[in-house]
Amino acid sequence: MMDFIKHTIFNNSFLLSAARCIFWEEEKALILSDLHFGKTGHFRKNGIAVPQTVFKEDIQRLTAQMQYFKPEYLIIVGDLFHSHANKEMELFLRWRNDFAHFPIKLVIGNHDILPKDWYAKADITCIKGQLQTGPFIFTHDKAECADTENCYVFSGHIHPSVTIFGAAKQSLKFPCFYFNKNYAVLPAFGRFTGLHSIKPAKGDSVYVLAQNKIMQMLG
Amino acid sequence: MKVQSTTGYNIINNWLLKKGNQPFLFQAQTWQEILRKKSGLVNAPTGFGKTYSVFLGAVIDFINDNPTTYQTKKNNGLQLIWITPLKALAKDIGRAMEEVIFELDLKWQVGVRNGDTSISERQKQKRKMPEVLIITPESLHLLLAQKDYPAVFENLKIIAVDEWHELLGSKRGVQVELAISRIVHLPKKNKKQKVSIWGISATIGNLLQAKEVLLSPINEEGVIIKAKVNKQIEVHSIYPDEIEKYPWAGHLGLKLIEKVLPIIAVSRTTLIFINTRGMSERWYQSLLNVEPELAGVIALHHGSIEQALRLWVEDALHEGKLKAVICTASLDLGVDFRPVETVIQVGSPKGVARFLQRAGRSGHQPGSVSHIHFLPTHSLELMEAAALKQAMQENMIESKVPRLLCFDVLIQYLSTLAISDGFLPDVIFKEVKTTYCYKEITIEEWKEILYFITEGGNALKAYDDYKKVEIIDGLYKINNRRIAMRHRMHIGTIVSDAMMKVKFLSGGYIGVIEEWFIARLNPGDVFTLSGRNLEYVAIKDMTAMVRKSNAKKSIIPSWQGGRMPLSANLGMMLRQKLDEAADDNNINKAEEIIVLAPLLDLQKQLSHLPKLNQLLVEHIETRDGFHLFVYPFEGRLVHESMAAILAWRISKITPITFSFAMNDYGFELLSDQPIPVDDTNVYELFSPENLFADIQRSVNSTEMARRKFRDISVIGGLIFQGFPGEKVKARHLQNSASLLFNVFTEYDPGNLLIRQAYGEVMEQQMEEERLRNMLERIQACEIIITFPQRLTPFCFPIKADSMRETLSSEKLEDRLKKMQEQLEKDT
Repeated sequence: MMDFIKHTIFNNSFLLSAARCIFWEEEKALILSDLHFGKTGHFRKNGIAVPQTVFKEDIQRLTAQMQYFKPEYLIIVGDLFHSHANKEMELFLRWRNDFAHFPIKLVIGNHDILPKDWYAKADITCIKGQLQTGPFIFTHDKAECADTENCYVFSGHIHPSVTIFGAAKQSLKFPCFYFNKNYAVLPAFGRFTGLHSIKPAKGDSVYVLAQNKIMQMLG
Repeated sequence: MKVQSTTGYNIINNWLLKKGNQPFLFQAQTWQEILRKKSGLVNAPTGFGKTYSVFLGAVIDFINDNPTTYQTKKNNGLQLIWITPLKALAKDIGRAMEEVIFELDLKWQVGVRNGDTSISERQKQKRKMPEVLIITPESLHLLLAQKDYPAVFENLKIIAVDEWHELLGSKRGVQVELAISRIVHLPKKNKKQKVSIWGISATIGNLLQAKEVLLSPINEEGVIIKAKVNKQIEVHSIYPDEIEKYPWAGHLGLKLIEKVLPIIAVSRTTLIFINTRGMSERWYQSLLNVEPELAGVIALHHGSIEQALRLWVEDALHEGKLKAVICTASLDLGVDFRPVETVIQVGSPKGVARFLQRAGRSGHQPGSVSHIHFLPTHSLELMEAAALKQAMQENMIESKVPRLLCFDVLIQYLSTLAISDGFLPDVIFKEVKTTYCYKEITIEEWKEILYFITEGGNALKAYDDYKKVEIIDGLYKINNRRIAMRHRMHIGTIVSDAMMKVKFLSGGYIGVIEEWFIARLNPGDVFTLSGRNLEYVAIKDMTAMVRKSNAKKSIIPSWQGGRMPLSANLGMMLRQKLDEAADDNNINKAEEIIVLAPLLDLQKQLSHLPKLNQLLVEHIETRDGFHLFVYPFEGRLVHESMAAILAWRISKITPITFSFAMNDYGFELLSDQPIPVDDTNVYELFSPENLFADIQRSVNSTEMARRKFRDISVIGGLIFQGFPGEKVKARHLQNSASLLFNVFTEYDPGNLLIRQAYGEVMEQQMEEERLRNMLERIQACEIIITFPQRLTPFCFPIKADSMRETLSSEKLEDRLKKMQEQLEKDT
């Protein structure tokens, strides 16, 4: 079962998926951020035994999203990979092979440090800085994005989350999509990633992801 | 052979006589046992020659072995390992030993090895080991991480573990157990030679078990040698001028601060023990406010203060330059400060052992009396003074429960062996099983651990380059230098909250503070550290930059530590004292009870004073809603679990939601509807049946386990904090325990470190055993349910504590004061 909510910007429909990505209906593009592929492998190579299943599940979830929304291409707003190459990337390449010729546009993030020819081999189009399609700009870190007048920016980088307080002083943190008047921040797609708390202002839209559900936060 | 007839004994005895001393009986007994190559435990308090008992034993043994050459024999190799829990102690102990060596003209060397030992010194030790090595448990493990480490221990005769009562019950104690299991089983130069193990411990409730744990690796019965020291301790309670009927709790004892001044004045030096670092900062400030003349002669000492400053305070204490030091548990251990004549304990010490230890920090002249003053932070706490006095009379001292099956420490230990010479699993498994901690480890668990360190648990084989421990011809070894280096850095990571350094903008280091506290501050906010008001400016390079502030008001960090629960022993004594108070026929009541009469009478009038075989339950209705107060006197943690379980059980009767509050005496359930607890169901609600299942359902054990996992994941090597020169690369290895906990819980829930986290929650957080004992006790009790018309003296501190959680301290004080005044007027 796929859970999503529609969010409209400039008369374009963006379907926010509980699986941590956005399907842009008009452009038939799937927008993702901060996948951090190869992170478990990077840790394991350094002797830190993180379960690799996280990575496998991330890839499977991506496939499922592609099969469901049937996008024509992917826009990744940075941090597709976590660090240097490791064996885990071979699983990614095999996956890439299954979707050969499917266009992937990567706006380079601070973690995307692989050599150029590696991306070429994986048939990934790299874009430095920002990618613009109509009035929409795609970039990794909103803070480093220049001139955005009359545009709407999609970004990632910070792995946004909100804290929800319950009874007895308990609180839980959930990843979220964040939208304000000028820009949006996507949650990290990869599950082995940390969270950064944001404090939404009045008028902002926040969509919280919890237990395979997406819901709009009221406030 | 009698030790007294040996050459070594005579030389030592003469040396002592020349100094005007003679051996204490327990020292001579220890020497005798060391001569017989026995192992055991010396039970002696600080300041009574406990160091000499084992150290001189080793010297006597050496002289006896070399009666003619003992003054010329050099380079004898490591003879004695002296394990100490505190780095700070090493220097003083070393100095005492060197003095003996010098005066006897031995050619022995004494080395110190801990986190502060320089690389060149370590290299020197590697080339030539001193005869005596004073070392912390962590550094001992680092020694086992060196290539060719077995050679170091070839000549070893004795492993001494100082302050064993401090280590027992902690993971550092487990480190000691593991190190002993390795060292005693290493081949020795002289095939017949065996290593003796000697623990030195203050009195605890389970001395026998303490000895059993320590000697478990050598499978010996061993002896316990007790120093017959009759130290007189006098406990004085500090009474408020007027006993309030309601023991409000918001003032941290500061209301009685004037009463402290005369005590400080008449005593050479006074130590003021405060339970938390935050409170100690407040006390320091307040003392200076009420008596400005104390400026310059009082000081503050706690774990967050910069080390150099702490050392300065300690030196000044030794020299008698200070009139008073406000301190926390940071001064519980360590060498004696002779000028200290008086100790003041502010608030509950939570346990008999800690109270005794603190009392013992005063009055060191032979035959002098230790004076300790008890200053209550709320009047009901005076009952604790009465309870402590009796507990001391009956020698009811708490036990230290040894830790079992700490997989994180074992993983760390195996990695340690893997970076030195590598290990053979069959050999090490047998050794590990000799320890008390791991005697019940199953072969399956062992294999799981090996699998974890070699294969990294379950993985996508074809796409994995996990690398840590490799198996080469059956030898388990870490070959990757970077991983080895990282592991070395991690041994001995003291686990605490992420700490941040605090520095002046102009330079100058002030101390450390929890990262979460800084994270809450905005630039311009003023907080207090090391007794100074500081304005927060910015964070730079993991350091909080501050400047001096003259602001009157500041935020005092509320450090997380220091919230120890009341011990079971003290809780029991407290119930006995209440029984005494409730007994109208008793004419010999403790003075604290007599002083507290107005409060206790009001409690009795409004509700009930519970006897020993009674449990008091109060239903009270206020504007806030319907309260249920229960008073088991079992400590905060047990009450927290019990409140959750009771709430869960009640909610099965009727749909109802609660909020909780608790202190060491009791707990509160608060609801917006009447709480259905009455004589018909109360025994069922407190039944020990289905306890385990009800805990699982009612308590948010996931959150508790998440907290426990922080320390487990660091010890187990899953968290990497980076090391100098590797900043950028390490960034890609940054990680939080909380994220790891989520990932493991979701993708590898059976992982043994996750299991351990839940186990620790049950044992330490929930204190399941104590909870069960309490419920069984309650089943045999008469449960008294009362319906007071207003808040009672017993429930007032709980109410106060629950408000503390949400209100700032000043607001809290105002609110509580108003509440109290209102209630006093009503009565």
